[in-house]
Amino acid sequence: MLKIKNLHVSIDDKEILKGLDLEIGSGELHAIMGPNGSGKSTLGYVLAGREGYEITEGSIEFEGKDLADMEPEERAAAGLFLAFQYPVEIPGVNNAYFLRSALNAQKKARGEEEVDSMTFLKTVRESLKQLKMDDTLLKRAVNEGFSGGEKKRNEIVQMAILQPKLAVLDETDSGLDIDALKLVAEGINRLRDPERSFMVITHYQRLLEHLTPDYVHVLSGGRIIESGGKELAERLEKEGYSYLQAEAAEA
Amino acid sequence: MSELAERLAPESALAADDFSDLREAAQRALMQHGFPDLKTEAWKYTPIRLLEKREFQTEAASSSAAPELPFDAYVLHFDNGILDAAAVELPAGVKLEAATREDFEGVEYGGREDAFAWLNLARFGQAWKLRIEGELDKPLVLATTTADDFAAAVHPRLFIELADNARATLVELHAGGGEGMVNAVNDIRVGQGAALNHVMRRSGGDTVRVSRTGVAVVRDAEYRSFVLDTGARLGRQDLNVFLKEAGALGEIDGTVVLDSKQHVDYHTSIDHCTGHTNSREAFRLLADGTGVGVFNGRIHIHEDSDDSHSDLNTASLLLGEMARINAKPELEIYSEDVTASHGATIGQLDDDALFYLRSRGLPTEDANTLLKYGFAAEPLEGLAEAPVRDWLLAELQGQL
Repeated sequence: MLKIKNLHVSIDDKEILKGLDLEIGSGELHAIMGPNGSGKSTLGYVLAGREGYEITEGSIEFEGKDLADMEPEERAAAGLFLAFQYPVEIPGVNNAYFLRSALNAQKKARGEEEVDSMTFLKTVRESLKQLKMDDTLLKRAVNEGFSGGEKKRNEIVQMAILQPKLAVLDETDSGLDIDALKLVAEGINRLRDPERSFMVITHYQRLLEHLTPDYVHVLSGGRIIESGGKELAERLEKEGYSYLQAEAAEA
Repeated sequence: MSELAERLAPESALAADDFSDLREAAQRALMQHGFPDLKTEAWKYTPIRLLEKREFQTEAASSSAAPELPFDAYVLHFDNGILDAAAVELPAGVKLEAATREDFEGVEYGGREDAFAWLNLARFGQAWKLRIEGELDKPLVLATTTADDFAAAVHPRLFIELADNARATLVELHAGGGEGMVNAVNDIRVGQGAALNHVMRRSGGDTVRVSRTGVAVVRDAEYRSFVLDTGARLGRQDLNVFLKEAGALGEIDGTVVLDSKQHVDYHTSIDHCTGHTNSREAFRLLADGTGVGVFNGRIHIHEDSDDSHSDLNTASLLLGEMARINAKPELEIYSEDVTASHGATIGQLDDDALFYLRSRGLPTEDANTLLKYGFAAEPLEGLAEAPVRDWLLAELQGQL
């Protein structure tokens, strides 16, 4: 699904990712953990194709295609989804209209038939209900006036509608209370599928308690310094990141 | 400048009538003051050089078609600015008649900033009075269309009166081509307890459109205007709302979308002439290409107007490097116990929002359009008359 090789990424000539290697297979859920400033969000943005994130070395291959050559909308149509750490408010743009336009733009790019508004509304209402969000959100402007938790849940609704092949969730757990955290985890688990993969970027282990990560990676100083199973997350929670950094320094 | 006055207001070909002395006095005032130039404060961002370059013809143009509208309405069609009153069918509560001397009582203008109003008074041909009683069941459309060979300067004049407790939605529509000029003056009175939605829809063409609208709002009456202007080679609207008695409400919501070779100027004012009056204004301008947008919004709370409340907000989007927008809110307050707020922003499309939309699969162009639409639609969404609102929003969408 995703192959990242020796990835170096700079923002304004400052190198943030310094030789990152990562492979995610179909149906797998990978957690990326790491301290502040380790490059976690940069990884999410560079995958989604944000401007100003320059790949200076290495490659990202998604479903056999080189991501570097693709525009953000092409990546989305190819099945890549980024749940933003800070979802953007877009005044005046109706939530339902936006989401249907996005879905249909993706379908059109893939040569699939567009969805009619009845089918769309039915699906989106279902998703909203599962995330305990009010129907009236559909009529409101995208993320405008949403609480922090509503914004994060709205990202999960979008993911459920857009049905990506690879979902990158950038600190979707931050700012959520325990109930909302559970709803978000359920939203992710509902979408688990042998054909769909997840990259869950998080600071804390608490979201992972509700998910079943196949792999946990520690990102520090712009590269993955340790990989393991679920137990790695538990150890990090207990001991903090410092011991790893100490180990890395010794090595 | 006096050359321009001669050209725009040549020796009258109008037959002598009840208004001859009014016209002569206006002509003298116009000659005395002359036309505005860039030193005239109210015109400093809107040069009228284009008018100086044009030769206006007196020959009649081909007739222009009445606009097709997606909602049911009563329509008064001003073909090349001229209404054929015989062709008009109106419901019981609406009366159309020729204006009389009485209607012109108290009509008075200032110096060269008011040159076009003087010009209208000096040269108006038709002057109509429209009186609306009761609750109008359908919108009333005043459609001014011009043919592609329209090259005249016309000066329509209209008095509109909403009787006490009347309710109506009035759609003033200007469309069509030709290198002429339509220089309109409208005087509106919203009677006690009455409510008027006043929609202005203007679009395109090489026609110069100058329009001055004065609105008197009396006790417990409500005036709400909604503007969607998608550009003209040269367009200027003065909209002056006077809240004359307690309980009066005045609201202006407007969206102006401009591209290359377009220059549109909205000068609005809301006067709180007395206390217990409320106003709100939201105006948005978008300019792309070499488009130039001007907005001046003035709120004036007079002396002894306590318990007046006003909110004025203007936001602009500069979409092209060569585009220009001059937007200025003005507050003048002479009473103590009032609230008045204002805000003005000018910016560009938000990169973060653009990336967010693209990351969901929307191609750049669609994402841009969606962002522009979201920005531009907001002032129009408050129009309660749903069929007209939907039409305006569809027109906006078609333009972006």
